[in-house]
This record gives sequence, structure tokens and C-alpha cells, in this order.
Amino acid sequence: MTEDRSEADEADSDESAGKPGLAAQRDVEQVYQPAEDSKLLADAVVERVGEGDRALDVGTGSGYVAARLREAGADAVGADLNPHACRQAAEAGMPVVRADLTGAFRDRAFDVVTFNPPYLPTEAEQEWDDWMERALSGGENGRAAIDPFLDDVSRVLTPDGAAYLLVSSLTDPDAVRERATENGLASEEVASESHPFETLLVMRFALDD
Amino acid sequence: MKEDLLDIVCCPLDKHDLELDATEREDGEIVTGTLTCTECGETYPIEDGIPNLLPPDMRDEAPA
Repeated sequence: MTEDRSEADEADSDESAGKPGLAAQRDVEQVYQPAEDSKLLADAVVERVGEGDRALDVGTGSGYVAARLREAGADAVGADLNPHACRQAAEAGMPVVRADLTGAFRDRAFDVVTFNPPYLPTEAEQEWDDWMERALSGGENGRAAIDPFLDDVSRVLTPDGAAYLLVSSLTDPDAVRERATENGLASEEVASESHPFETLLVMRFALDD
Repeated sequence: MKEDLLDIVCCPLDKHDLELDATEREDGEIVTGTLTCTECGETYPIEDGIPNLLPPDMRDEAPA
């Protein structure tokens, strides 16, 4: 993540000079590309999907996790707020919808929902300057996208469905679990990986009976 | 987009069904058209094969 951050910072300074940065000309530089976190999430989920499961990858970015779901036999769709990400995922052959989190999807439509969210805690004044920043920054507590996701995801899950969320130790996983409980979701940690400055976790959420 | 995508998407505002009006198709996929909410009447564009189902107030909100 550290290297990605410095690229985002460079893109910012290009744009603050008042002319479009090179990044504006190339979708690929405005879309978060698969990294350790995407791979950890995909590896954990593909073991747990069934043939023909309906799957939604929220914040699909390049479409990497959605493509892994599809390889595992799921009927996967990607959603992203970022138009560049939507184009890139579509060019990779993924069905894609430009949407805010799970907001444009029907009740009980999915057996599996995955989300590798923007989770880095970020000072307010640094936020939302470009699409790459948006893909990384999770607001002051790192949970600006995670909280609304947890508030709506139970609506789009089938009764036996599950959501898988990538979180970082920087994101306060206990606060994430608490938010899930408030939304009637039982949480379980299904994978983790230690890195120099953070531990990445994959949490699985299922509807509480 | 393929037409069967309509089985899983809905209006982001009131979660009602969307009606498809395709203006351009290619290889069985809808390239251009609109999706209209059967309840509130809000319309959502399909451009380059990608439906834009952002709520209208978020549609124009884009970083530089």
C-alpha cells in the first residue's frame, strides 16, 4: 500500500498545478490494481463459493476479485463508483454496474458479496482529490466506506449467503465487528496476513438466525 | 450489459424494478439505452455497455 500511496500523491500534485495530470489520460492509473489485499480476499473466498453461486464484488476496481470468483464457478458481477474502474473491469469481460456499494442491487440477490474497501485512515483535508485517493482512503477512522456497506449488505444476501470484507488492523476490526452485530450479522475471521505496518484480515459475515 | 442483469439490479432510490429501453445492441448485449424505474420514473443511462445506477445526486460528483 505504501508505494501506491506515493503514486496517488504524485497524481494529486499534478492536478493541483491546474492542468490535467497524466493520470487523467489513462484509466489504469486511476484504478486500484490488485495487491496483497485483493489476493488475500480472493484466496479466502474462492475456497468457499459453490458452482453457480450469485456473487457481487463491490468496489471491483480492475475486476480481479470478480474474475477469481468467476473462475471458481460463481456467476459474478462487479460494481464500482469509479467510471475508469467500470471500464477496465468491463474490458476484462466482467459484467459491471456503476453503483454506490450495494445500493443498486435487489433484496436477497446474492449468495456471496465481496468487498476490498478503501480502508486507510486519512486526514480530512487530503481526501477525495482523485479516483486513486478515493480507492484508498477510508476517511478519518478508515471506515467511511465499510460502515455504509455493513448497513446495507444484509439486504442483498440470500438467507444462507455470506459477505466477505477485507479489513486492516489500521481500521479497528473490533469496531467493524460491532457495526456488523448492530446490523444482524455474525462475524468470523477466515484469513489473515501480517505485513510490516498492518495485519490484513478477511472477515466473513452471515445473517444471524 | 446483458439483459439478464435486470434480474439483480434495481432502482438505487426506492429498490423497485427497472424497465429497459435499449437504443443500441451488439452481439446480444445492450450498448446504449436507459433504465427507468417503474415506481419513481427516475432514468439511468447505459453507456458503452455499462449501466450507471448511481443515485442522481452522485452521478455528476466526480474527482478531477
